[in-house]
Amino acid sequence: MEKYRDYTAVDFLNDESFLRWLTNPTQTEDDFWNEFLKSYPYKKAEIREATHVFNIFHSHEEKMGMNETYEIWSRIQKEAKTSKRWKLLKFVKYAAILVLVFFSGSVTYYMYQRTEKQYQFQLAGTPQISKDEAMIVLSDGSQVSLEKQMSQISYSKNGRQLIVNNDTINQKSGTEKEMINKVIIPYGKKSMIVLSDGTRVWLNAGSQLIYPSVFTNKTRQVMLVGEAFFDVTKNPGRPFIVRTTDVSVHVLGTRFDISAYPEDKLVQTVLEKGKVNLNYAGNGILNRDYVVEMVPNQMVILNKSTGEAKSQMVDVSKYVSWKEGMLEFEKVDLIRALKQVERFYNVKIYLADPLIGSYKLSGKLDLKDEPEKVLNVIKLTVPIDWKKKSNGDFILIKK
Amino acid sequence: MYSVENKDERLIWIRFLKGDNEVLSLIYLQHSNSLFDYGCRFTSDRDLVKDCIQEVFCTLIRTRDHLTETDNIRLYLLKSLKRKIVRELNNAGRQPKLISDEEYPFDLRWAENLDAQLDEHDEEKRLQVAKAMQSLTDRQKEAIYLRFNRGLEYEEISFILNLNYQSSRALIHRAIEKLREIIHVPEKKINQILFSILCGERESVF
Repeated sequence: MEKYRDYTAVDFLNDESFLRWLTNPTQTEDDFWNEFLKSYPYKKAEIREATHVFNIFHSHEEKMGMNETYEIWSRIQKEAKTSKRWKLLKFVKYAAILVLVFFSGSVTYYMYQRTEKQYQFQLAGTPQISKDEAMIVLSDGSQVSLEKQMSQISYSKNGRQLIVNNDTINQKSGTEKEMINKVIIPYGKKSMIVLSDGTRVWLNAGSQLIYPSVFTNKTRQVMLVGEAFFDVTKNPGRPFIVRTTDVSVHVLGTRFDISAYPEDKLVQTVLEKGKVNLNYAGNGILNRDYVVEMVPNQMVILNKSTGEAKSQMVDVSKYVSWKEGMLEFEKVDLIRALKQVERFYNVKIYLADPLIGSYKLSGKLDLKDEPEKVLNVIKLTVPIDWKKKSNGDFILIKK
Repeated sequence: MYSVENKDERLIWIRFLKGDNEVLSLIYLQHSNSLFDYGCRFTSDRDLVKDCIQEVFCTLIRTRDHLTETDNIRLYLLKSLKRKIVRELNNAGRQPKLISDEEYPFDLRWAENLDAQLDEHDEEKRLQVAKAMQSLTDRQKEAIYLRFNRGLEYEEISFILNLNYQSSRALIHRAIEKLREIIHVPEKKINQILFSILCGERESVF
């Protein structure tokens, strides 16, 4: 920080760290420069000057709409697939000349399988969950806000018409490309969506679901950020795939819950009925993908940082009761339970002592009550007390 | 080549090179908007820019085996997009005359920006800055854009402009000489700042 003491506006503008702070700041830069301004208040004028000049040069940016962003992305995927196949054809031609016909056949099949899998990327990388507004974003980029605490959305078979909380909306028909829709549910709200194939999805607070209004591909694919319970309509010819950043679940027809919040360290999948394949990327030297074939009442928890998966048999109802407005726990870490309460009510709960978080919690919480009442119920089972701050945040203290 | 990217970005890049396609969507989302803006400076044809962005990522997948961990992903994408757009502009005959590698248009779009930055009574200053800006060549404009909109370092700018470090400094230096002739108001601090930024010089001019 010392070296900036005698910097002029020009020097600042020539400094990479300063420029990054103005163009594309990270937390580190933000902290550093705010700290610098505090320590050297007499540099304020120079910095203001530098910022002013910067602003003259820094011109207005042209942006793509969300649908344009998705459109290009789906074109990249498609192109990637076809080019790979074309290369493959060439390869097969040579292979056929050199090797026995049946042998090359098996190679083709193997390669084809690989291509299919390799180029199904997902576009759920950046969750932008707005603080308070629930909405559905249609393929043309238009947004329809969902005002209710619990919104209902349902699609007609051809995907062109959807009913949102009893209002009917017609989507402009894009004949060739899939119409990508997105539902964003902030903390404190929930939603139930009936997709065009009849699959029902309960979307929990603080979650997003990206899906085509009608499924035109060989597989039915949706992308999830956050938590959702799926009741998938059976269609053996068209597997249903739920993708999250860390796992993907392949199903034919079944009921299951996935919790994959970006801020959580764990991704949790619970199967209620039917059969699913849970896929996740391995972290080892071989870097191969793992597949777990799950059976009813099985829960698989994947640790995102270590890549380790743990499996156990559970009482499913405890993990899916949130869609009925209940939370049920059995020897769950208090910190994990509180996270769910936070999301449901869109409140912040802090722990005065981090050790409180490891208390085990068992029991039922009725989320129809106020958060204060819920905390009072928790108080009965673990030795804590709570206070409410003036800004509405809660603090838990050890008793 | 350069080390301006943060650690996460590097990890994502390494994962992509190792064959992990899932992270390509992250790379795409992270860079698509800045690529689009950069592309729109060369042409007003948004669809052309979008097609070229698509091409850039398809090429990225195809040529993955030739890339290395030390490649600067942002630079790679910017340069690759520019190459494709310039080629398209040449091929499609959208441009009346053939444009060489050095002579493609670049729009800094500073005018609308200036209006917001200067007060109404700063008419004199506005005219001076406007005049100075107009006298810049397209390459100088591009250098300024890469510096202040994309936040690139001088070394990175010279990479994109296909110049060695000295030539790119010289290019920018010539811009300043030109500006000096037009704006000659030594007491105006803002102009001095403008010069020295373009020079990339550390010493104070006050």
